[in-house]
Amino acid sequence: MSNPILLVAAREFRQIANTRSFWVTLLILPLALAIGPLASHFMEKPHTETVMLIDPSGQAAPAIAERIELEHQRQVLQSLSRYSESHDLDRADPKAAWAAHDHYYSDQEVKAFIAAGGAKRAEAEMQRAAAPDTKPFDEPDPDYRIVPTPAAIGARGPADLARILPRLINPPRKDHGAEPLDYAVYIPADFASGRAPVQIWSDGGVAGQLMGVLQDTLTRAMRLHFLEAQGVRPEMANAAQLIAPMIAVNRPSPGKGHEQVIIRSILPLLVSYLLLMSLMLSGSWMLQGTVEERSNKLIETVLACVSPNQLMYGKLIGTVAVGLTMVAVWVACAIGAAFATQGMIADFLRPALAPLSQPSVALAMIYYFFAGYIMISMIFLTIGAMSDSFRDAQSYLSPVMLVIAMPFAIIAQAVLRDPSSLGVRIMSWIPIYTPFTMLARLGAGVPLWEVIGCGVTLATFIAIEVVMLGRVFRASLLGAGSKPGLAHIARLMRGRE
Amino acid sequence: MTALLLDGVTKDFGDKRAVDDLSFAVRDGEVFGFLGGNGAGKTTSLRMVLDIIRPTSGRIEILGRRPGRENSADLGFLPEERGLYRTMTALETITYFGRLKGMTRGDARGQGKVLLDRFGLGGSANTKIEKLSKGMAQKVQLATAVVNAPKLLILDEPFSGLDPVNQGLLEDEIRTLSERGSTIVFSTHVMQHAERLCDRLLLLAGGRKAFEGTQDEARATLPARLTLTSRGTPAGLPGVASVTQAGGRDGWTDWDVRLDPGGDPGDLLQACTERGFALRRFEQSRPSLHDVFIHIVGGEEAQS
Repeated sequence: MSNPILLVAAREFRQIANTRSFWVTLLILPLALAIGPLASHFMEKPHTETVMLIDPSGQAAPAIAERIELEHQRQVLQSLSRYSESHDLDRADPKAAWAAHDHYYSDQEVKAFIAAGGAKRAEAEMQRAAAPDTKPFDEPDPDYRIVPTPAAIGARGPADLARILPRLINPPRKDHGAEPLDYAVYIPADFASGRAPVQIWSDGGVAGQLMGVLQDTLTRAMRLHFLEAQGVRPEMANAAQLIAPMIAVNRPSPGKGHEQVIIRSILPLLVSYLLLMSLMLSGSWMLQGTVEERSNKLIETVLACVSPNQLMYGKLIGTVAVGLTMVAVWVACAIGAAFATQGMIADFLRPALAPLSQPSVALAMIYYFFAGYIMISMIFLTIGAMSDSFRDAQSYLSPVMLVIAMPFAIIAQAVLRDPSSLGVRIMSWIPIYTPFTMLARLGAGVPLWEVIGCGVTLATFIAIEVVMLGRVFRASLLGAGSKPGLAHIARLMRGRE
Repeated sequence: MTALLLDGVTKDFGDKRAVDDLSFAVRDGEVFGFLGGNGAGKTTSLRMVLDIIRPTSGRIEILGRRPGRENSADLGFLPEERGLYRTMTALETITYFGRLKGMTRGDARGQGKVLLDRFGLGGSANTKIEKLSKGMAQKVQLATAVVNAPKLLILDEPFSGLDPVNQGLLEDEIRTLSERGSTIVFSTHVMQHAERLCDRLLLLAGGRKAFEGTQDEARATLPARLTLTSRGTPAGLPGVASVTQAGGRDGWTDWDVRLDPGGDPGDLLQACTERGFALRRFEQSRPSLHDVFIHIVGGEEAQS
């Protein structure tokens, strides 16, 4: 290799690769992927919450316990339904409750599901239609578990309970070993009369779901009591409790509709973000190198051997190579994590990588990434050539980065909300935003004419940029000690000096 | 053969003319001094020779070719403002610049080691530049300039910033390269170095050529200067431009005598003899390049 451009590029690459910050940055993602599963393990819902029911009358507690179990089984049934839909298992028993995906399961349906054998029976039926590699159904944990009420507590009145129970709710460390208690609920014997309040002890807010269960169950008991007091026959009063609307739910199947847009946009958005991140990093490293060449007075020695253009292209290639190496390592780690590991990150990454299965999308992503890199690196390079110190460079860099990076968050949100909205489409045609916007949109599908049109516009812009900023770069290389103003830069860009 | 030729070269920066119609030639194998005060246009001229900047008009030839990076294999350059990549080692630095000049990696490394040994830096070959002293780094920089055994070596103020030991080392290196056939052009405003090294020289003032020729020719531009010790004043003798009394004893007076431009001291001695003008001392003092420089450049710069 004796091409001066490649020699300059190789030196740039080695210089950056020899820095500690390069390796720290390079290893951030693999570390995150390694730590991710651990973190997700610790971030999972801590445990099924425990509830102690203190019911002197002995009538309300069984109804509440039954209600809590019913709500849990409703969740199990809903999960089974999504599982069946995701893995195309409805054909195992099209008439089963879990094969119906378009409505809210009524109490009757849930009770019928339990009576028929619950999740175990449903899984066994689904097995008939399941492919060999189908992941087994993971039954959700119950949200609440009723713990037995100690006799010493069950016999106490509200005043004693107010003294005793706060100590039982999340006891101090010295009581470690005792079963933790999240909620204690005291239901007075005459609660139906409305004269004595139901009391809940907790160490924080009461979960809405538990409150709903308590309110629903106790309200039913009070209504029944009221209807019976009004002379309604008990069987009629009970029948009135069962009256409930049928609620149909219309939503796309898993991985379709907006969910599809989000999942398929994850990788492109991630790539767009990676472009921004790696550009900021490798760009600033290159900038430091260029500033060093100028401030260390070695630019003249270099220019005696290579032309300014060769130096410029060599630096560009070196920086792009650094950025692409970083991204290649990150993507390889992500693919490794997606296909070689299990767990939340793998489940997240596998569908997100789906857009890459289309060669045209993969090709367009590579093009926009590469073009984005050249476009922004060229700006960094020129700023480096105009600056005697990193502080000098910052004064040029800050406004430029503000213009480039600030709209990124807006683009990401807009793409997730509606990838074909007018605002996003307009941004796609503004060259400095084209790479980020198009990368973010590609997962959700972009018309071919727009992909090509924006691509050609971007290529034209880059060609003009390289010519104009190249003039500034060449003119600024030997201008140590002078910091050109905007008017001067504009004249240099036009080739007037 | 001409190693370097400038023909009517002019360089303007906006309204300012840095080099004005400069023409000169450096012969193959010469050590050529490029002398001038600050802002005389020396660095600009050398940058044009190296194609770092382009002339506004005129023609430049290096080793019979137009300026360009294709000549870098035959060129060596040591700029006035020196610096190296701080995080590269001494040997890596020399190898890198050798390769930029078209050498193979092996040749560049091999020659780099030879040069580092010659400059007493063999033990620091793998030391990063940032860990070297300034003097050591300057030797490495010199090595980057000569790693390719250049046919034409251009040194821009090579002695500035060097301590006397390193100045001597650089002078030796220039002589060695010259003996091996390299043509050397160096700019300086320290006349002692030029006096010791140059075969020919060019004086630049205000961007224009003020003189080109050998050292003797340069000295000849100054009026001859004599020290006479006589009984009477030599003011009336033919060819004498001015006399200044410089001391005396026992009836004899010392005189500092300047002749008319082009005046020959031999003619004055003959006139003294013919007229019976008693002399106790007749001593011709050889003007230094410094005197020549002040005489030529000082006058030019005063006019510009």
